[in-house]
Amino acid sequence: MTDSADAGASSLRRVLLVWLLVPLVALVPLTALLVYTLALRPALDALDRALTDTAVALAQIVEVDQGDPVRVSLPLSEQTAKALRADLIDETVFAVGDPQRHLLAGHSELLALAPVVPAGQWRFFDAALEGRPVHAAAHGHPCGGSEQVCTIVVAETLGKQDAAKRAALLGALVGAAAIALPLVGLATLAVGRALRPLRRAAADVESLTPQRLEPVDAHGVPREIAGFVHALNGLLARLRLAASAQRAFVSDAAHQLRTPLAVMRVEAAEALAAQHSPDVHASLERLHAAAERGSRLAQQLLTLARAEGMTVAPTLALQSLDLKSLAAAVADRWLKPSLEAGQDLGFDLEPAPVKGYAPLLEELLGNLIHNAIEHAGHGARVTVRTRSSAGCALLSVEDDGPGVAQEEIEQLWQRFRRGRDARGSGSGLGLAIVADIARLHGASTTLAPGESGRGLRVLVSFPLALPG
Amino acid sequence: MHILLVEDDEPLALSLATAMRARGWRADVSGRGEPVPSSLLKDDYDALVLDIGLPGIDGLETLKRIRAQGSFLPVLMLTARDAIDDRVAGLEGGADDYLVKPFAISELLARIRALVRRHEFRRSELLALAALRFDATARRAYIGERPVALSARECIVLQYLLLKTGQIVPREQFAALIPGWDAGTSDNALELLMSRLRAKIEPGGVRLRTVRGLGYLLEPATAV
Repeated sequence: MTDSADAGASSLRRVLLVWLLVPLVALVPLTALLVYTLALRPALDALDRALTDTAVALAQIVEVDQGDPVRVSLPLSEQTAKALRADLIDETVFAVGDPQRHLLAGHSELLALAPVVPAGQWRFFDAALEGRPVHAAAHGHPCGGSEQVCTIVVAETLGKQDAAKRAALLGALVGAAAIALPLVGLATLAVGRALRPLRRAAADVESLTPQRLEPVDAHGVPREIAGFVHALNGLLARLRLAASAQRAFVSDAAHQLRTPLAVMRVEAAEALAAQHSPDVHASLERLHAAAERGSRLAQQLLTLARAEGMTVAPTLALQSLDLKSLAAAVADRWLKPSLEAGQDLGFDLEPAPVKGYAPLLEELLGNLIHNAIEHAGHGARVTVRTRSSAGCALLSVEDDGPGVAQEEIEQLWQRFRRGRDARGSGSGLGLAIVADIARLHGASTTLAPGESGRGLRVLVSFPLALPG
Repeated sequence: MHILLVEDDEPLALSLATAMRARGWRADVSGRGEPVPSSLLKDDYDALVLDIGLPGIDGLETLKRIRAQGSFLPVLMLTARDAIDDRVAGLEGGADDYLVKPFAISELLARIRALVRRHEFRRSELLALAALRFDATARRAYIGERPVALSARECIVLQYLLLKTGQIVPREQFAALIPGWDAGTSDNALELLMSRLRAKIEPGGVRLRTVRGLGYLLEPATAV
């Protein structure tokens, strides 16, 4: 049922997860990009400052001869040049050009790459030097007259810059993951938790039966779902009321029938026993039989209403019983009817402890014996057995009568259903009562041919009661 | 036999009283429970048939009042209400037996007879069923005036069966009853004893039945 409902319908869980997780999946990379950019900027600024420091150092060494024309020179010793280029990671290259952009010192190709920079200003640029990418700072250094600007360029390979980028990227990714993964987990968990009361309520409703219409526990159910659960409980309460009203009606009707039925039984039996005209004998016999049948039916309806009522709201406490003594107690009541039907009612009793309701179990056994009286026929041998075996307390009633066709056996458990070749005046309620009372005791019932392959054996298997 | 029948349903009371009178019994009918205690003091009844559902004080309260005034009269309760609760309440309240409506008249009369018989046995030493009589003091049995020769064990068994007439007596109870027998005594030994006893007493109009797997039942031969 739940599978087919899932197929076409929308899932609350899916909607919640999509609305939570899709924005999360979109926002996390954006956040990571922002973190990357923000973290990288100061690192790159620091690298640029290192380049400008070298350029400023070179600027200090430039000498200007204020003649006419002005002469610019760079008295740079080999040691100083080495010191300025020294770097653990990157290769540093520089170039200094006079106002006419003639190379004073350093790398001529680098000087050619440098843009024209106004005096006192800086330009940063990326270029390829000897086939390798470099980052460079160019400075316009005023030398001599107002228009005289020397160009100082310092470049270095991208080792430190790449390292800084890698570090920033790693930081951004780890940070994003550190936020995103717990969020995804929490969102899934939260949705699961939020929907759990709904699933529990659904399971509660699933476990309801017409005999057991208990309210669904609304405790801990969220407000949004509680309304639904309350409405459902209201419906269940009305159903319970209707069911118990129906049971009460059956029970009351059966009670009310009892006294008039008693009069009918007494009067019919007395009339049959008294002197009467042969004309009315057949009528009296039919009247007597109908009174007997009506009486039994009223008793059975009461028992059914009772068993169903007990399933809904037990009014009796479970007792520790032995099926053996129960069968012996029932024997007194059923021996006479059995003898009257020309049958041999016998017992084979061993201890079989159970927990149950004695009056209902007596009714169960009575129905089984009555069934045999009705259907096993004159001369049948009927045996009541009790046993305990393999965790079960067993009660069986077996006869060697005509039995029931295999294909009819399962139908016999239904109310008012009788075997095709059924004799006698049974209502067809007997086995339904047996099944109801057995179910109430957690027992299972089996109908099968007797041990010799003939007749019918009804076996009721109870959970064995532990001693004490 | 003199019966006081307390039943508020007039058609049923009339039917039952008529059936009892047809058997030569005397039957007085009351529709309420209140006058019952004083009626029992005035008349000498053999048994009381008491419906539980009565107007005014109900059958259980009536029973309580007559037991409180010291009456040991056999009481059979009738109930139309739920058999389960009424039976417990009735038997705890001092009823000797109960019947659930609608009952067969033969069942009601048999139960009354059994109650009265048991009650009388408690007062006298002479047990009887059909033409069979048993003198418990002398430990002698008679069919009519003819003495029946019984062994000591047969005497014990017959006395017990007569006390329990109409009821199935489980085999184990005989084993406990007979000196020198115990649970280990074979069923065959008991069956042998019973078949000898059966041959001796059944000419007296009684029947000693074997209930297969359970025990024995003594009843008048006319019953079924």
